[in-house]
Amino acid sequence: MVGKPPNCLTETPLFKLAKAAALAAIVLPATAVIATAAGPNPAFKLRHDNFEAMGRAMKGIGDELKKPTANVAVIQKNAATLAAAAPKVKGYFPKGTGPEAGVKTEALPAIWQRPADFNAAADRLVGATRNLQVAAATGDLAKIQPAVGAVGQSCKGCHDNFRKPRG
Amino acid sequence: MTGAATAPIRLWDLPVRLVHWSFAALIPALWWSAENGKLDLHETLGLVMLALVVFRLLWGLFGSSTARFSGFVRGPSAIRGYLGKARSGLAAPVVGHNPLGALSVLALLGLLALQVSLGLFAQDTDAVESGPLNHLVGYDLASTLSEAHEFVFNLILAMVALHLAAILYYRLVKKDDLVRPMITGRRAFPTAVEAPRIAPLWRAALLAVLSGLFALWLSWGAPPWGARFPWDQPAAAAQMDSSTYM
Repeated sequence: MVGKPPNCLTETPLFKLAKAAALAAIVLPATAVIATAAGPNPAFKLRHDNFEAMGRAMKGIGDELKKPTANVAVIQKNAATLAAAAPKVKGYFPKGTGPEAGVKTEALPAIWQRPADFNAAADRLVGATRNLQVAAATGDLAKIQPAVGAVGQSCKGCHDNFRKPRG
Repeated sequence: MTGAATAPIRLWDLPVRLVHWSFAALIPALWWSAENGKLDLHETLGLVMLALVVFRLLWGLFGSSTARFSGFVRGPSAIRGYLGKARSGLAAPVVGHNPLGALSVLALLGLLALQVSLGLFAQDTDAVESGPLNHLVGYDLASTLSEAHEFVFNLILAMVALHLAAILYYRLVKKDDLVRPMITGRRAFPTAVEAPRIAPLWRAALLAVLSGLFALWLSWGAPPWGARFPWDQPAAAAQMDSSTYM
């Protein structure tokens, strides 16, 4: 889908939550009311925001590389953002935060079915973003270009296997 | 058509018909490619669409008399006058777009122009698959333009529906087949009318080449101001393209 706003994970609308809470207050014990009112697992929003930050950083780097003259400082800043965000990815997918949670998410069950593969893919991203940060520090576009490509490949590798296809 | 018809005249020239049917084929193809995540194809088709829209706008200035905006765009009073006459059945046959239909042409072309312009800056959810000028705007503006790109498609659908409804109305109520002349280019009129001035094809070819080059230039990111020329890239840049990290 082109032009979809960056909401791969949207929280349940407030009114739905309120409705569910009201219903639960009538038919369920008080503990269930508290559980429902607590809202979805914070991991949904945390990982969404983290991925969005990485998307913004990748765009920031890609934009510079397309421009007639690249601003290396902008690339370095975004490379630092990527390197800081990448290690967080693994921790943002606790059990119970897949599609079964009833929250809109593009996370596929494969994340929890093949944890070793998922963790390896996440580690690959961490390594690639570290390498990019090192390459960016040199200021040499000939080193930065392939390092950005490697980060992109690690994004793609994970999207292909663990994210719901678009459409 | 009722009544004794005169010999058919050339109503729509070849460029108008080619552009028209290309629009008809491209609009569903663009929708399909976007819905199915085939964004490389979507971008290519979008640039073809852009070239066609630019060509049609130029043809509206330099083309045959039935293609020129000056030949069919009328003010509100002329439209009211035409509608009054049409209601009482007194309107003389119009060679080309009638004053009301002119609004439809302007709306459709305007929406297509707006849509391809928005698409140049649009991006998908991750901002990794993006239009050729996306790098010239920031993430948030690009997101807004992307939402607008999605919304304007609904306006295009509405105009297409109106367009098809009008064709059906002409066919069923006014017993007038508008589709056939748009295929053959020719139609007969009940009374003698002045034949349109058909512009030479070499002029269409020249404008088509210019429009194509313009779209190609945009696809490069508008160098030298917006990007480098493709033959002026650092060696490593060739390895990167938009599909690298989708």
